[in-house]
Amino acid sequence: MNRKRALISDTFKVKKRIRIGTEKFGAVSNGDGPTDIKFTLEYLMTLFPRKLFNDALPQIVLKHQLYSIHHDKTLVDKELNKLRERGEVLMFQLGFDAEAFGLIFASDYKAKVLAAEEGRATRATVERFLEKVLSSSTDLSFSKDQMLREFLFTDSEITQLVKAGVLTVRDAGSWWLSIPNSGKFTKFFLRGRKAVLGMVKKSKYSEVLQAELEERRTTVHVKFHMKYHVHDIVGAELVESIPTTSGTMLRFVDS
Amino acid sequence: MLGFLTARQAGLDDPLRLRRAESTRRVLSLTLNPDRDVDRVHGNGVNAIDIDAVEGRYMLSGGADGVIVIYDLENFSGKPQYTCKAVCTVGRSSRHVHKFSVETVQWYPYDTGMFVSSSFDKTMKVWDTETLKPAEVFEFEDNVYSHHLSPIARKHSLIAVGTKNPKIQLCDLKSGSRIHVLQGHRAEVLAVRWSPRYEHILATASADSKVKVWDVRRASGSVLTLDQHNGDKSKASSEAVNTAHNGRVNGLCFTGDGLHLLTTGTDDRMRLWNSATGENTLVNYGKVCNESRKRLQFTVSRGCSPEFVFVPCGSSVAVYALHTGELVTMLRGHYNNVDCCEFHTDYQELYSGGKDCNILAWVPILRTADVEEESNSAPTRAVGQASVNPAFQDAWSSDED
Repeated sequence: MNRKRALISDTFKVKKRIRIGTEKFGAVSNGDGPTDIKFTLEYLMTLFPRKLFNDALPQIVLKHQLYSIHHDKTLVDKELNKLRERGEVLMFQLGFDAEAFGLIFASDYKAKVLAAEEGRATRATVERFLEKVLSSSTDLSFSKDQMLREFLFTDSEITQLVKAGVLTVRDAGSWWLSIPNSGKFTKFFLRGRKAVLGMVKKSKYSEVLQAELEERRTTVHVKFHMKYHVHDIVGAELVESIPTTSGTMLRFVDS
Repeated sequence: MLGFLTARQAGLDDPLRLRRAESTRRVLSLTLNPDRDVDRVHGNGVNAIDIDAVEGRYMLSGGADGVIVIYDLENFSGKPQYTCKAVCTVGRSSRHVHKFSVETVQWYPYDTGMFVSSSFDKTMKVWDTETLKPAEVFEFEDNVYSHHLSPIARKHSLIAVGTKNPKIQLCDLKSGSRIHVLQGHRAEVLAVRWSPRYEHILATASADSKVKVWDVRRASGSVLTLDQHNGDKSKASSEAVNTAHNGRVNGLCFTGDGLHLLTTGTDDRMRLWNSATGENTLVNYGKVCNESRKRLQFTVSRGCSPEFVFVPCGSSVAVYALHTGELVTMLRGHYNNVDCCEFHTDYQELYSGGKDCNILAWVPILRTADVEEESNSAPTRAVGQASVNPAFQDAWSSDED
């Protein structure tokens, strides 16, 4: 019998959900129903400004941006791990915050990296790296031991990889997996986040409707799509998002 | 709810299930209730509270000024309106009062005749509830952050004590001496907790970001050190190996069945661990605001399905579903930071104390029963009133004359 399996609290939630449903009518649905992380990822990728980087960067989504769309964070983590294990998605440490992880579709990453390597001397090494390492491991960083013994790279080849930008130095004898030329992204991203947070902070009572914020004219500092930043600050819990009768409201959180 | 009742009536469900359903419903409707107050005795922040496990009737609270108060939670007046009275107080005027802030208070698990309190004045006192005098005083070299008595122990009567010193002390109530030291942490020990399942298992949390699980029968070292990345070295930076958090770990709580362990840290995270294997279950609770420099007392519901976690979060208490990590609700009411909360298992009530000197009672508000027809209820109500307060009716009849 099905009822035995259902969690008890689900019965009590039914009433609540109806009430929330009427409030949300016409607004963006906030992830009820089955969680399709891949679809959400694809949606967030579309917000990424490819033009800004002359299409040289793969589309980057931050992990916590997913939390702004799906409320069950544990489930997001689980689904994401499945995608990573299947090799569809790569995760990167972006460096400016220990909790900020970047997500990229593996095919996109490979294509962009190879395009950048076109006609360079390091191309062969990078190709070997992409083939050998990315297909077999889901690690965020690699130690020297691992690189030399398991993946059979030489010291000079590792230097080439670092030069090509697919590895960055983490500390002595270990490297992060990284995205070539992503420094510009990080710079624009952090500056934009600061500007958007400032906009929320400076509005009356430090709160602003999401729809209104998205319509605002942006300063030169905000290079990305406003929605990209909104998903970021909501997901990282730098602002609180409160459902109101006229849409979602964002309130700055003092911390 | 009606569905559950009919299912129970028809014998489809066992009684436990109905009970769980009702407890869950009550927990989901916890709010501040004007009918329930707790006497305001503390003149300073409330650091710790504890409800006795025997009757669930008496509540202890320890304040930042060293004052300890005992409240009576049981309402015998027959009215919904009730203020939990302070039964007795170890006030500033008492000769035995703690000199500085009381950090932890706990009832003796088998009897309300005794309780234990520890304080920043480097002592831990075992009190006789009857006379409100300490029966035993343990003195330490450093500030005491936390202590705990095993809720189920039958073979030992040890109190684990976490102090500013990285060594964990075990004090024996039988002999009144410090019998053992557990070494392994590198910084002050902010929280200690015995397992409610195995009486020799102890968990400790420290400012060196580590959480260790000990078997006190084993002298050589800890059994487990919890690792937030489950041994996956590629994520952790090299100095952060075997850490439970990326900051000070200041809260520790076992679930009611002792199968899981919850920790909170100043990295604004809460983690759920499998207490048998020490594995991180990777439940993501999101940002759990935590700026406390001292121990944070949080609690888990019992007898609900699913279980809930109540954790102080700034000036409110956040309620999370234990296994999914979903934020159920925020209980807002305190005017300043909340430091401690305790769940009353029998009545599904929550008590929380904070820096605003208040102890707030969060009581389930259920839908009130529909009012019956006036004609039917009026005579019974009059009789009820008369029986409650005859003096009042006398005055009324004399008016009529």
